[in-house]
Amino acid sequence: MSIQITDLQSPISPTWCPGCGNFSILTALKKALIELNLEAKDVVIVFGIGCSGNMADFIKTNGFHALHGRAIANAIGIKLANHRLKVIVTGGDGDLYGEGFNHLLAAARGNHDISVFVHNNERYSLTTGQTSPASKKGTVGKSTPQGVIEEAINPLALAISANASFVARGFAGQSQELVELMKQAIMHEGFALVDILQPCPSFNKTQDNQWYIEHTQKLKADYDLSDREQALKQVLKKEPIELGVFYQDQGRLAYHQELQQLTDKSLIEQFPDHLDLQLAIEQFI
Amino acid sequence: MEKIQLNWKIAGKAGDGVMLAAKFFAKLCQHHGLQVFNYYEYPSLIKGGHQTGQVYASSESASCQRRHLDLLVLFHPKFLAFHLDALDEKSVVLINAKSFDSSQYPQLKARVITIPFSQIAKQEVGDALMANMMMIAASAKFFDFKSDQLLELVKKEFAGNKRIIEQNQQAINLAYQELGKSIQEAQLDCSDQTLEAKAAADKNLLLTGNEAVGLGAIAAGLQFYSAYPMTPATGLLHYLAAQQENYPLVVKHTEDEIGAINQALGAAYAGVRAMTGTSGGGYALMVEATSLAGVAEIPLVILEAMRPGPATGLPTWSGQADLNFIVHAGHGDFPKVVFTPGSVLEHYQLSKLAFYIAEKYQLPVFILSDKYILESQQTMPQPDLAIDLERFSLLANQQSTGEKYLRYQDTDSGISPRAIPGLDKVVYLANSYEHDQEGFATEESLVTKRAMDKRLRKMETMLAELPKPQVFGAPVTAADKVLISFGSTINVLQELLNLLVAAKINQPAIIHLPCVAPFLSKDFEQLFDWQKINEGKQAVYTVEGTATAQLAQLLRANSQLKNIKSILRYDGRPFYAEDLLEWFQTQKINEVYQIK
Repeated sequence: MSIQITDLQSPISPTWCPGCGNFSILTALKKALIELNLEAKDVVIVFGIGCSGNMADFIKTNGFHALHGRAIANAIGIKLANHRLKVIVTGGDGDLYGEGFNHLLAAARGNHDISVFVHNNERYSLTTGQTSPASKKGTVGKSTPQGVIEEAINPLALAISANASFVARGFAGQSQELVELMKQAIMHEGFALVDILQPCPSFNKTQDNQWYIEHTQKLKADYDLSDREQALKQVLKKEPIELGVFYQDQGRLAYHQELQQLTDKSLIEQFPDHLDLQLAIEQFI
Repeated sequence: MEKIQLNWKIAGKAGDGVMLAAKFFAKLCQHHGLQVFNYYEYPSLIKGGHQTGQVYASSESASCQRRHLDLLVLFHPKFLAFHLDALDEKSVVLINAKSFDSSQYPQLKARVITIPFSQIAKQEVGDALMANMMMIAASAKFFDFKSDQLLELVKKEFAGNKRIIEQNQQAINLAYQELGKSIQEAQLDCSDQTLEAKAAADKNLLLTGNEAVGLGAIAAGLQFYSAYPMTPATGLLHYLAAQQENYPLVVKHTEDEIGAINQALGAAYAGVRAMTGTSGGGYALMVEATSLAGVAEIPLVILEAMRPGPATGLPTWSGQADLNFIVHAGHGDFPKVVFTPGSVLEHYQLSKLAFYIAEKYQLPVFILSDKYILESQQTMPQPDLAIDLERFSLLANQQSTGEKYLRYQDTDSGISPRAIPGLDKVVYLANSYEHDQEGFATEESLVTKRAMDKRLRKMETMLAELPKPQVFGAPVTAADKVLISFGSTINVLQELLNLLVAAKINQPAIIHLPCVAPFLSKDFEQLFDWQKINEGKQAVYTVEGTATAQLAQLLRANSQLKNIKSILRYDGRPFYAEDLLEWFQTQKINEVYQIK
């Protein structure tokens, strides 16, 4: 039976700050799961560590509340073990663009069929306000009182150059558009990255909801999302920040689809109740 | 049948084909029904340097490498200098050269035969690389193996490649002729019996420790292996990668070791039996995720293939100094198991057992071993090939009763029923945070305590299923000396027992520990007569590949045994039974060891 809103209801209420973008991202995620008519048993969400990762307690699904930075690696393992599952990663910019960025690039290169939703508030907030890899140069935080010296990461450009097959940007304040992006990402057969702009009312006071409304705009209606070079140019533009799907390659096989062991059945469906070791010992005779 | 024993070694540069030659010769010995141990030494480079393959084969037992050589085969004359202490007047050196100037080696007692194999191979067979097979064949002739046995092996190894088989056949014939001439000239009587191949029926397998771990894993239902290459664990990655076409198995070479262990944890969460493998430096990167396996109660098997550290250390050599590291690896308190198999056979057995323990008790299980045995080949009896597998501690289809599923249910055994994601009406939240029975994060005092107690309770439940200390030689209560080791060292200590019998010296008691965590204190302490120990009537030594006597520290921490000395080796090389025999005879030990 497909997921109902009551299925997703956790007994625990969110502990996020009032006005936090995570509330609307959680609502959008629940909506996306329901609107896709997915069955609860077929969904696994892997959560990062941070304010966004705490969502593990606020939504009731099969879940894996991972280590900081490592959720994508766990998600790949889950998908390869049982590719019937829809595997979603949800975590922050510090987690997925900082600590664990190597895993994100590897997942994009391999086109592992997982959807990665990055709650990007340009801050480490659960640790009370340090700059993140997504913070703009010069941002003052508790760990960078003189302003951060590094340039901000461009996650979408990096994902496209690493051959990600679905690359999008959403905004927590535009709920219905975000639901649509999430749905497209979940249904995309391959690696999908959705960078979600998220206001942090506690530690990023300059970029509040109004700031994002003023600084963002939708990708033009006639935008060709199949043109990779154009997509790269598009995501390198600084202002205004564009929202929508920048790139999608529907022709590329997902990693598990290229494994001949998984052609007919998932790995978990092939648990070897009976084994013959003859082939395994052939070379030792 | 009279006891047959042969010691053979081949030395050349990396790229000469030393390992292949040794593997071939070892296989020839295996096919003659002999027990075989094949030990490699090689530097961390691709071309050049000096590398060796060394085969000890015997009709009785061959558990380790031996020092004295019957036949030394050299690709290049200059390598003789490295092997002088292994040669005596009974040894023969076969050199790939036209002539040899022995005046540089006044201390050389061995007889030298020179045959320009490379030159002959190039001229007669048309390929200088065939020198390799000529050297194997000359060695076979030296030990009186029949040439048709060697040819049969060639046909098997190169099946389908007619030209290669013909070239090899020609090389074998030439080598038998050449060595025949040289032996007559040198008036050598190299052997007094012809080695007949034994019937194929009672064959042993010949494989490395890495391969035995892999075979055990497949036999246990391994379906997911993720790893990043690192010597000396890479052999396992290669073996399993090749088995993907034979079994329902996915092998993933990941972006790094952190990705490797976390992918394995993901796969294990999703319900398949999963494993990762690496050496000390790679495992250092995996420690955080080991702790995650502990708290989230995810079954995982980890091979830690030791080489000498610290840091990059000696990449292609052996050591045991990760013992403390692995026994204590992981932040926080959580249950884990550390197996330390000795022989290749025990690597197979404990690899299988590791998957059973990991799944039943839902925790990380280590196979802690070292380069010495993981990359050496050893014979083991062929195991049963037909295997039936069961699942353990999984959630039965009870949820149809409408009961709420508690992933981390508090039980008397500490084991909670584990769901596999994909079941109707079952929600499984694995959590790296401390969590309640449902899996939700908690910071409550009593919930935290109960969750910790539940997990640690599994350690008590499992004790009876873990491999106990094994005693060899004299009973522990009767011996003057007690030697204690873990992991691969038992291979050498068993050969020491043979040497002591031959030298008519009293047998020590030897205790081999196949499991170091949890430490089976009761089983260990039961072996001793404590009055005798306390009166100082017995000398107790650990024999270990560490510089800081880590095993002795572990024993003091976990048993009443406090007065322990240690025989240590930490230069990357294995113990030699001959050196330990000398210590028994003279109370003096070679300077490469330390006793403290």
